[in-house]
Amino acid sequence: MKLNQRIFWSLILAIPLLFSGLGCKKFLDRKPLTATLDDLNQGALEGQVLNLYTTLRTYAGFSTLPWIDFHSIRDDDAQKGSDASDGREINTEFETFQYTKDDWAPNSYWGDHFFMINTANNAIYTAQTSNLTDEASLRNVGEACFFLAYAYFELVKTYGEVPLINFPILKPTDAIQPKATVPRLYEFIDSNLQVAAQYLPLTTDAYGSAYKGRLTKGAANTLWAQTYLFRSDWAKVIALCTEVINSGQYSLLPEFSDLWREGLQGAGKNSAESIFEMNANVGQNAVSNSAVYNGTAWGTSQQVRQNGAPIEWNLGWGWNTPTDKLVNAWPNDDPRKKKTILYSGEFDGGPALGGHGATVPAYTNPDGTGGLAQKYWNKKLYTGNDPAMRNYTGYVNNNGDAGWINHRILRYADVILMLAEAANESGDGATAAANLELIRNRASGNLGAGRTIVPVIPFTDQAQMRAAIKNERRWEFAMEGYRFYDLVRWGDAITELSSLGYTNRCRYYPIPQGPITLSGGVLEQNPEWQ
Amino acid sequence: MKCFQTAGQKPSPSKALLIMKLTTLMMLFFTVNVAANGFGQDKISMRVKKTEISGVLRSIEQQTNYRFLYNYDLEDIHDKVSLNVKDAGISDVMNLLLGSTNLLYQLMNDNLIVIKEDPNVPVDVVIKGKVTGEGGTPLLGASVQIKGTNIGTSTNIDGNFSITAANANVTLVISSVGYDIQEIPLGGRTEVDISMKLATKVMDQVVVIGYGTASKRDLTGSIVKVSGKEVADKPNTNPVSSLQGKVAGLSVVNNGTPGAQPDIRIRGTVSIGQVHPLYVVDGIFNDNIDYLNPNDIESIEILKDPSSLAIFGVKGATGVIAITTKRAKAGQVTVNFNTSYGFKKLVDKIKMANAQEFKTLFDEERTNNGVTDPYDYSGLDANTDWIDAVTQTGNFSANNISVSGSSEKNRFQFGAGYTHDEGIVRHETLERITVSLADELKLNKFIRMGINFNASRQDNPYDATWVLDAARKVIPLVSSGTKNFYVKNPYGTDSLNMDIYSALDLGLQTAGVINPLVTLENEWDKTINREYRTVGSFYLDINFLKYFTFRPVLYADVSTVNKRVYTPLYYSYNPRTLVPSLASQTTRVTEDDRTWRKFQQDYVLTFKRNFGDHGVTATAGFTTYYFGNFNRYGRSSQANGPTALPIPDDERFWYITNGFQDPSTTSASSDQSENSTVSYLARVLYNYKNKYFLNGSFRDDASSRLPEANRHQQFWAVGAAWDISKEDFMQNQRIFDFLKLKGSVGVLGNQSASRLDGTVLDYPFYPRLNTGSNAVFGTNVYTAADPEYIPNPDLKWETVQAWELGVELNAFQNRLHFEANYYSKKTENLMTYVDRFALGLKNKLVNGGSLKNWGEEFSATWHQDFTRDLRLDVAGNITFMDNEMLSLAEDIPTGVLSRTFQNNGSAESRTQAGHPIGSFYGYVVEGIYQSYAEILASPVASSVGAYAPGDFKFKDINGPDGKGPDGRITTDDRTFIGNPTPDFMYGVSVNLSYKGLNLSIDGNGVYGNEVFRTWGSLESPFQRVNYSGDKINRWHGPGTSNWVPIVSQEHRFNYNGSTYNIEDGSYFRIRNIQLGYNFDKNLVSRWKIRDLRVFVNVQNAQTWKNNYGYTAEFGGDATAFGYDNAGGAIPMTTTFGLNVTF
Repeated sequence: MKLNQRIFWSLILAIPLLFSGLGCKKFLDRKPLTATLDDLNQGALEGQVLNLYTTLRTYAGFSTLPWIDFHSIRDDDAQKGSDASDGREINTEFETFQYTKDDWAPNSYWGDHFFMINTANNAIYTAQTSNLTDEASLRNVGEACFFLAYAYFELVKTYGEVPLINFPILKPTDAIQPKATVPRLYEFIDSNLQVAAQYLPLTTDAYGSAYKGRLTKGAANTLWAQTYLFRSDWAKVIALCTEVINSGQYSLLPEFSDLWREGLQGAGKNSAESIFEMNANVGQNAVSNSAVYNGTAWGTSQQVRQNGAPIEWNLGWGWNTPTDKLVNAWPNDDPRKKKTILYSGEFDGGPALGGHGATVPAYTNPDGTGGLAQKYWNKKLYTGNDPAMRNYTGYVNNNGDAGWINHRILRYADVILMLAEAANESGDGATAAANLELIRNRASGNLGAGRTIVPVIPFTDQAQMRAAIKNERRWEFAMEGYRFYDLVRWGDAITELSSLGYTNRCRYYPIPQGPITLSGGVLEQNPEWQ
Repeated sequence: MKCFQTAGQKPSPSKALLIMKLTTLMMLFFTVNVAANGFGQDKISMRVKKTEISGVLRSIEQQTNYRFLYNYDLEDIHDKVSLNVKDAGISDVMNLLLGSTNLLYQLMNDNLIVIKEDPNVPVDVVIKGKVTGEGGTPLLGASVQIKGTNIGTSTNIDGNFSITAANANVTLVISSVGYDIQEIPLGGRTEVDISMKLATKVMDQVVVIGYGTASKRDLTGSIVKVSGKEVADKPNTNPVSSLQGKVAGLSVVNNGTPGAQPDIRIRGTVSIGQVHPLYVVDGIFNDNIDYLNPNDIESIEILKDPSSLAIFGVKGATGVIAITTKRAKAGQVTVNFNTSYGFKKLVDKIKMANAQEFKTLFDEERTNNGVTDPYDYSGLDANTDWIDAVTQTGNFSANNISVSGSSEKNRFQFGAGYTHDEGIVRHETLERITVSLADELKLNKFIRMGINFNASRQDNPYDATWVLDAARKVIPLVSSGTKNFYVKNPYGTDSLNMDIYSALDLGLQTAGVINPLVTLENEWDKTINREYRTVGSFYLDINFLKYFTFRPVLYADVSTVNKRVYTPLYYSYNPRTLVPSLASQTTRVTEDDRTWRKFQQDYVLTFKRNFGDHGVTATAGFTTYYFGNFNRYGRSSQANGPTALPIPDDERFWYITNGFQDPSTTSASSDQSENSTVSYLARVLYNYKNKYFLNGSFRDDASSRLPEANRHQQFWAVGAAWDISKEDFMQNQRIFDFLKLKGSVGVLGNQSASRLDGTVLDYPFYPRLNTGSNAVFGTNVYTAADPEYIPNPDLKWETVQAWELGVELNAFQNRLHFEANYYSKKTENLMTYVDRFALGLKNKLVNGGSLKNWGEEFSATWHQDFTRDLRLDVAGNITFMDNEMLSLAEDIPTGVLSRTFQNNGSAESRTQAGHPIGSFYGYVVEGIYQSYAEILASPVASSVGAYAPGDFKFKDINGPDGKGPDGRITTDDRTFIGNPTPDFMYGVSVNLSYKGLNLSIDGNGVYGNEVFRTWGSLESPFQRVNYSGDKINRWHGPGTSNWVPIVSQEHRFNYNGSTYNIEDGSYFRIRNIQLGYNFDKNLVSRWKIRDLRVFVNVQNAQTWKNNYGYTAEFGGDATAFGYDNAGGAIPMTTTFGLNVTF
């Protein structure tokens, strides 16, 4: 009996000890009986950061008319397009350089960029205050930093001095800040891109298997190179472009027009030449089901506008069209010209020239009565007429919309040409010529050194090479929104744009009156526009 | 010597037993073999198995010369034995044979052996006696027990008892409530008269503390014990409701819905999250006790101070209500039956405008709004009191039977109850059946095992909590009756006559206002809401090494609620056109299944020993707790289309898949959560000479709800007490019979994690995922899971630093008992849900801010015997309480926790540093603008809204700079306008008994708090509601009123929360009056009845209050309470009861 009792005792007393030793941790490790962020392979910031991509896709200041107004329509090669009565004020504000302090487009452009800045700041603040240091969260921080730099780079190019908001807005008055100097803004951009380049992965595979087009280290370095290009810091441009090239992640597509092809269900998106695209998607039968519409107005705003043409030409709003100046200046033997400009009244050239085998209705008059209102259209976006995709989404005939088209924001050709320009400016003509040749050879259809069209341009002197590179950027990036800021950067804006009404102060747009009024005088207008 | 065995020497039974066991084994192989071995010296060898002793003796006689002489009637001679001996002497054989009997043998000459009974063997003796109480009165029901056994009985009406003992040398233990326990060594007596002495030490009460019981005298804390009798005969389905006003420091805010949980707080509001106390029922932790039959409760203990609560660790900070259910007592079988029946009546009805008043006010309002044409009242000719229309006289009945009994080895108690409880709103009925069983079995001297089991089935009432509010909104011009129409059968193609309720006047009342009878009368019986709950425990009580007790216990509480709601088809008619139309057009079914599983295991080791003057009780334990909640919710609607049939109005089809449903409308969802804790605990109760006391306790809690790194939190308390009355210098005074000073200090925990509105965060470390924005990569669309808030890796539970100082005393021959305590509790690291949505920032869950509760409690009882028959007990308690928010989490952007209600958030509770928790916030009304001239002469208020004469004149208090009046009325002029926490609360009770008759009166009240009335002023100005009665005194021209504003919904200015809505929440209530009669025991014993009592009880007989509402008591949650939303009526309940014990 005594012995039995002892055994019994030991057993009883052992239960709690067993529990604490073995079962306890398991008993106490309880996760929600539904998915957590970990289960979804998401950091705590994922939601906030995805919101930044959504902002890029859906806010007008990034992907639709205001962005096009500021970047493309302001230059000499692109114009508003559409028809005479649509967006008439844009002609005044952007074509003829009578900038306004209070209108939809300039107000949206300012407000949307600060929205992105605040969203990114909040995400970074979340990470800092919660000590989020897991890999997924750090990647998210890198993404937020990229978007901060992206937005500020756009702002500093557009306005010069703007308020520096590098903190979360905890109360409304926090947003009232004076302007920061341009060097200070660039310093802030640099600091963010440094973080972005550090945390962003080399390839999108790090995010998971199906995140094509998400931000990478290459995107951060390319944007960073752009910012140095605008500061004429050639060494930094060379270093960053070389890093992107040496990463081995990118290459020029053999066929120039393939870069713009979307294909059914996005087959051509996020190509090897693409470093960063604003991604959009429109699912099957989206026209009758908004749940599968995750599109953007980027493609829609730049498609052929129907006006008096048959209903199948109801493809979009018809903004951002080539000018006569571009058409006349561009040598006809450059194959890129017919892949960039779509001519009214002509056959679109079929797949070889990025077309779909249709004949575009004729231009009639600026009002489009009886036909089209524009002579030329932006063919880089003409992919929106892709009949297969239109039938798939249901956006066909009367439902003209092309929400699935990605905005190619950063592409590898820019890295090559930036390197060429920076090498030339720093006295390395050979490198400049070699890189220029990469672009020209591809433009010719890879005909090689002995070709007669888009011929090789050997280096003779710096000025000769500089002119060649400027021309190359003009053709290669036509209608893509590079030219206005390039002209300003090169100091060529007065020469090229004064006939349109451009004066030196037009390099910066005035700050909208709304924020100035709200700030109670803390935020001051650019003195040139007071 | 020749074989003369001395008489009376008994072989050692244990040795014999052992030998016999061995022999049994051998018996399987050998048969009887007895060998004779010489005269007089015969050696015996034999093997027998289970043979009567007499048979063995016969065998010996046959094979030896021994002869036996004995009386064949001796009982033990027929005992069966097994025996295996070889060459044994006769004495050895006899010892083996008779060792386990009461027989002796004597070896006489001539080999004659005489066998007879041992005269000294104890035989059962019947002990008789009489127990008398004070003044020699016979004591009925006194417990008489034989010490060290479970054998017991109780005295009858004459105080007589009779008990069977093994011998007359045992000690009797006699106890009776109110008397000191006596131990009487019988010393051979079989008849004793015992005179009991009135208990001198009330403090020797045994109270339940966590993981054990203790004498209240040994404790340093504040525990109040309430007898189960106090709640058993009160007409409340929830036993805690009956504690209102009974216990200092315990705040109970009742409401009138049957079965509904009262808002209970112990010593103030200690958190901005969870504030309700922990229930501990027979050791099991629980968050509600709705399965308990009040009649099964033996006692309720309220634990309030750090010294008592630290052992509960992370659940201790809000206080503990420990409930002990009934156990069988030693003694004979007792059957108790009790029943009560009564009715509930609505009292203190709120005043609303009648038909004439409504017309007067409405016509005036139209004029005020510039409408000139008179309103067309045609068809609206009723004068309905809508509150009368939706209320009823509710019936209450409770019936219980319990049987208890015990034997030496076993005690058991069985109870069954049935309660039928109707509310004052029509069709609001709760039905509950409960069964309880407790059994304890003594396995041997060391081990007892027991089970407790409670099961209940409850049919919850149709949710009619909205009805009172809906009723008072309807204008009195609408009829509450039905009209008969010949209409199409909504379930068929035929037509039939139906009685149909009126809809409201579409021109006047649409949004947010309905005729409650249309819904109530058509839907009340279309809901099945049934809860099954089983709660049980199994334990062992193991005593070993004399001073140790080990008690392992396993508990389980499993409950399910199945709620099915069917929406039928029904008509209402337009009161103007008298055209009926379908008010409900689609049949629907929703099903809601909720399951709770709670498991707990305790392993508690207790050591109890006195070392000379030092008394030590030490406890160490290990416990785990598991909580799981699993809910499923589904719904379906009838199919559409010309051929589709409605879901029939038949319970058979009230399921999601009923064969009539449209699959596309069928949906299901679930939510579920689990959490667990693992805890270690320790406690030492020490006393020196029963004069100086020290208590120390400690608990370590590890919770699954915290991040792993800081999962463990420790809580502790130490307490000290000094029984001054035991000191020598107190021995010569005659005033104090007992005087104890006590104090304790400790750190308690509060496992609170909720959003500000009180909804619980099941996994505080894992925020719920909301659906974020869509991002596209390639052709893949990602809906980012957006965490509701930022998870905080440093999260921990709130801690409460508490201390108290107190005194307990008895004086004037124990007629006075008095207790006083000062307490202070500072809650730190408040678990705060920081809402930053308005800033576009992520919400957070942080530990931040602190809160203080402090106060004084006094309670006293006076007992007076005027004559032998006339006795008086008076008791009273009062608690002064204060609450202040010391700081809030720094992360809160506005520096204030705000809770807003009604339209535009016009009713606001603010929790802000420097103010009591949940203080009301709004404008201060100085009066009514009587004229435009007065408006011009007053600060401009246009930033609040457009205003005119007849509107509130708000006081200019502050400007945007916070530096006092600025000459403008703006939102900066809002201020703290009320505190929902009373300055003090109190309770009194008087108990008068004369012979069998007794009368008790209980009252309770609070003083100094405010209530926020949201009705009759802050309804949405877009819905037309009936005017509250006070609107008759409205402003309708200069000088007509300086308090009630102009009647006009267009004057939105008056729809701001202000002191106009603030009312004095002080009240005093006669909570309970009970008149009872205990029949003369001599009389009822003729019918074999031991006890018979009849009583009449009136609950809430009268309330004195100062506000407009039905009642002055309104509960809520931690940061928003005290709102009068035109509901909460508490009925007056009159019951008649009968209690019989057989």
